[in-house]
Amino acid sequence: MYTSMTNRRKFIKKMAMLSAMTAAAAMFPGILFADEQERGIPDGSNLDWKKAPCRFCGVGCGVLIGTENGKAVAVKGDPKSPVNKGLCCVKGYHSIIALYGKDRLTKPLIKKNGQYVETSMKEALDLIASKMKETIKEYGKDAVSIYGSGQWTIPDGYVASKLFKGCIGTNNVEANARLCMATAVTGFLTSFGLDEPMGCYEDIDYADTFVLWGNNMAEMHPVLFSRLLDQRLKKGVKIIDFATRTTRTSMAADRSILFKPQTDLAVANAICYEIVHNGWMNRSFVEEHCNFSKGLTDMGYGLEDGYKFTDKPEKINFEDYKTFLEDYTPEKASKISGVTVKDIKYLAAQFGDPNKKVMSLWCMGMNQHSRGTWMNNLVYNIHLLTGKISEPGNSPFSLTGQPSACGTVREVGTLTHKLPHGVVTNKEHREFAAKIWDVPVENIPSKPTYHTVEMFRALDRGDIRFMWIQVTNPMVSMPKLKRYRDGAKKEGRFIVVSDIYPTPTTDIADVILPSAMWIEREGMYGNSERRTQYFEQMLEPPGEAMSDTMQLIEVAKRMGYEKQFYYKEETHIEEVYNEYRKHHVGKKHNMAPLEVLKSQPGALWPYVDGKSTKWRFNSKYDPACSNGKDFHFYGKPDGKAIIWQRPYEPAAEEPDAEYPFWLGTGRVVEHWHTGSMTRRIPVLHKAMPHGYVELHPEDAKRMQIRNGDSVKLTTRRGEIILPASVDQRGIPAPMQVFVPFFDENMLINDITLDSFCPISKEPDYKKCAVKVEKV
Amino acid sequence: MKKRLGIILLFTLLFIGFIVNWGYSYKKGLEEAYIPIKKESSGPVIYSEKKVFERSQFALEYLNMPVDEAHQRSLNSYYDNRAYPGAPPSIPHFLLEGERGMGGKACLQCHQNGGFVEKFNAYAPVTPHPEMINCKQCHVAQNSSSNFRETTFYKSITASVGSNSALPGSPPMIPHQIQMRENCLSCHAGPAAPKEIRVTHPERVNCLQCHVADTRDFVEIQTFVRTKSLKK
Amino acid sequence: MPIKSYLAHPHEDKKEDLIEALSTIEQCEIMAAQNKDVLILITETENKAEEAILKEKLDAIKSLKLLAMVSGFNTPQNN
Repeated sequence: MYTSMTNRRKFIKKMAMLSAMTAAAAMFPGILFADEQERGIPDGSNLDWKKAPCRFCGVGCGVLIGTENGKAVAVKGDPKSPVNKGLCCVKGYHSIIALYGKDRLTKPLIKKNGQYVETSMKEALDLIASKMKETIKEYGKDAVSIYGSGQWTIPDGYVASKLFKGCIGTNNVEANARLCMATAVTGFLTSFGLDEPMGCYEDIDYADTFVLWGNNMAEMHPVLFSRLLDQRLKKGVKIIDFATRTTRTSMAADRSILFKPQTDLAVANAICYEIVHNGWMNRSFVEEHCNFSKGLTDMGYGLEDGYKFTDKPEKINFEDYKTFLEDYTPEKASKISGVTVKDIKYLAAQFGDPNKKVMSLWCMGMNQHSRGTWMNNLVYNIHLLTGKISEPGNSPFSLTGQPSACGTVREVGTLTHKLPHGVVTNKEHREFAAKIWDVPVENIPSKPTYHTVEMFRALDRGDIRFMWIQVTNPMVSMPKLKRYRDGAKKEGRFIVVSDIYPTPTTDIADVILPSAMWIEREGMYGNSERRTQYFEQMLEPPGEAMSDTMQLIEVAKRMGYEKQFYYKEETHIEEVYNEYRKHHVGKKHNMAPLEVLKSQPGALWPYVDGKSTKWRFNSKYDPACSNGKDFHFYGKPDGKAIIWQRPYEPAAEEPDAEYPFWLGTGRVVEHWHTGSMTRRIPVLHKAMPHGYVELHPEDAKRMQIRNGDSVKLTTRRGEIILPASVDQRGIPAPMQVFVPFFDENMLINDITLDSFCPISKEPDYKKCAVKVEKV
Repeated sequence: MKKRLGIILLFTLLFIGFIVNWGYSYKKGLEEAYIPIKKESSGPVIYSEKKVFERSQFALEYLNMPVDEAHQRSLNSYYDNRAYPGAPPSIPHFLLEGERGMGGKACLQCHQNGGFVEKFNAYAPVTPHPEMINCKQCHVAQNSSSNFRETTFYKSITASVGSNSALPGSPPMIPHQIQMRENCLSCHAGPAAPKEIRVTHPERVNCLQCHVADTRDFVEIQTFVRTKSLKK
Repeated sequence: MPIKSYLAHPHEDKKEDLIEALSTIEQCEIMAAQNKDVLILITETENKAEEAILKEKLDAIKSLKLLAMVSGFNTPQNN
């Protein structure tokens, strides 16, 4: 805030306070002075301000929503939230406008003779319940399925899992987080045996160097990126952008290093080589806390229906691992990746310097990767070899893209193999869940069924006949979309879609249910740093719109599960959450009580003895550590984390003579995912009105393509025409093109490839071969 | 004897050195002249993104700078100096270094980093593009107050302040083109910034995180509505 | 007139007491950190004598463990 010189005393007082604040920040990283920030915000006269986590990405900013006469009218960052400390991004500031789109769904619609007819909620729910019963009777339990999302609140996902896995008895529960976070999960499970980051956002206040692995943070996680920039102003930290494309993040970073798609595997191994060969390894840490393993290689890419893969881990010793690394000297890795030897050594030296605390950050670049689990493992290797893990500032940190990808999909476990606590393949885990759910244990099948891509393939084949889609838009976001759209439209399929706006997904629906969005209902989200945040209902939903939780409960009751779905309408969120907490009892995963969540901007699990656990596996901070040593990786039976031997393997489809370019997809700061909400916010739509294809200026020049010209992209799956973007928001490397996927009128996913990581089953949206022509 | 041998050795060495040196230069002289082609150094640069961060190293200083209310500029005087919104401003003062002064030796002395100029009793505005040093290519002096003939040129309406936010308290959109003005802090922070558009939080340097372009003046963009209707 | 800023560290679990004690003193302005046990104290007095009295008052506060001065200014009397 500026101070006027006319009031000299006030100014001096301000200076005195600022210097004290600077001194305090140096002594206590992460310190917050909420009062100071609140002074600067116009109080918004007579608005009623209530706290909520932001509706959009996985950062989980605390926002304050101003309401007036039953309408949301303003948003500000919550200065008390340790996540964003009062700052939002452009999406957050305008988020409430997404509640008021003109074409908001307010009444249930049922398709009759190809026409959508308005009906009542009661009739629609009756129809859904009877259709489910009918399908089960005719085709079996595994013919019904639910496809949810990382935007499900915790209660939404919990009741969905309880209904399908516990009551109906099918593991056909999946969520769109399979398309973005599944790899992060398998990465954590293979390396540490327990999901989700060990550290938290506070690491940003302690680290000296930030390595961003294929992560355009300035656009996709802008609020956290601003915390990085803040640290750079205050104490000169270094930000290194390691990516395949030049972006806003590269421009803000201290160093931008470009690599060829898929070759991050080679570079990460080369960093490990340097660490081992330059004596930068933290020997005592590795001996005390790490094992070495290798798994199967040459796994394939899951392109064929019914593809199955199970890794076979095998223990190796350090010498084996050292021999393996010989293939990844900086010189060899440089040849594969196109990164200079100097840059590889520079990266390695950041991790190798014992006096530097390093934070690695990544999101879709590493997760939507046909060897994504491996890549996650490799980054953990780097941090484990140097012992830079689980302490303030030393933190490999996997970011998420949806408000509750962690909270609902990963923690509640709305994936085919998961239960709220543990996995379906484990008998004890099934018994534990069945007891809390009040169902016979035999109800829960012991075998996982379909992961997302396979689930849509099963719908196409006819193995699945009924699908309920909630809070997500797969008809924009699935890879190789055309096949799955045609499959969903086939005769004898019954699709229910719960959403707030018409989307390409509601176009394939037989029943469309209007949902209550975000603060029109009560719920909780869980963000990337294990923070669970509560929000109350602040507004009335429009028309007959109903929360996804209530929709599921109503259908469950109609199907005869009144005993399990005993919740009362007024208190159902509280009842569901309290029941859910029982699954996570114990020092390793205890969830904070609801009163705590209501009183503060969230809490990090494990929440033990009234305290959030900021750094897991470190006995100084984590009460679950019990081996008497400084670190305890208690996710693995012997308490040791695993350093994995994972080689470089090429992508499923690489450019060739016919399709000479790489095609990668991604996002922009203005739009969130498929744009069904953000495109209805005029500010954001005006700033970014349509999709485009980004080309390298030299490629564009050679092909005589100018900014705005129409360009045809052709892959083996089909073709699409997009306006060119040359020298605008980002610059892809030569012979690569980039297309954002938010635009439903330019469905880039019609032509992307559905190859996936064999371990996580998460598709690789970032790599396939494409032909580029001017039209 | 030893001494003489030493002297002979010394001269022999000098002679050999001379021969080698002469031979090398001669050979070099025979080589064809060529112009080394510059290799592109590090990766590509996106100017519209890069320059946003350009003055960010001064962000904390901007934050702690007191405001000198007696010498503030206003948005009116800012636009008075421009033929239309986005036009290069003309020079409203006599030229300290004369007509031939240029770039680093003249204009940039004050306009690169700003500061109070006693002579003009004002703070020098900071240029968003200090790398372009032929200043008077675009910025010309105001040497006469009269016109040759009157003009009917229509000066389009400037973006107003306080009307660019979608919600009470939400971050305003950018109501102007940013070509050559990508560096937000140069005009929106510091004592020379027009008082109406001076940013309250110069330390938040990733400006485009919250403030996005409002393109409505340049392209007519309708509100997004699905073309496909449900109840067909 | 001296204006000084300090970091005030309370004894364990005494942060609230300290805030209360300091806010009763007229010349003191405080800003408490929300998540750490420390608060910022800014004092403003008219002259040295008043400064000395204030110092005694501060020394008498029981919940105060440590007072570390960060900066001090002395502005001229006019204005």
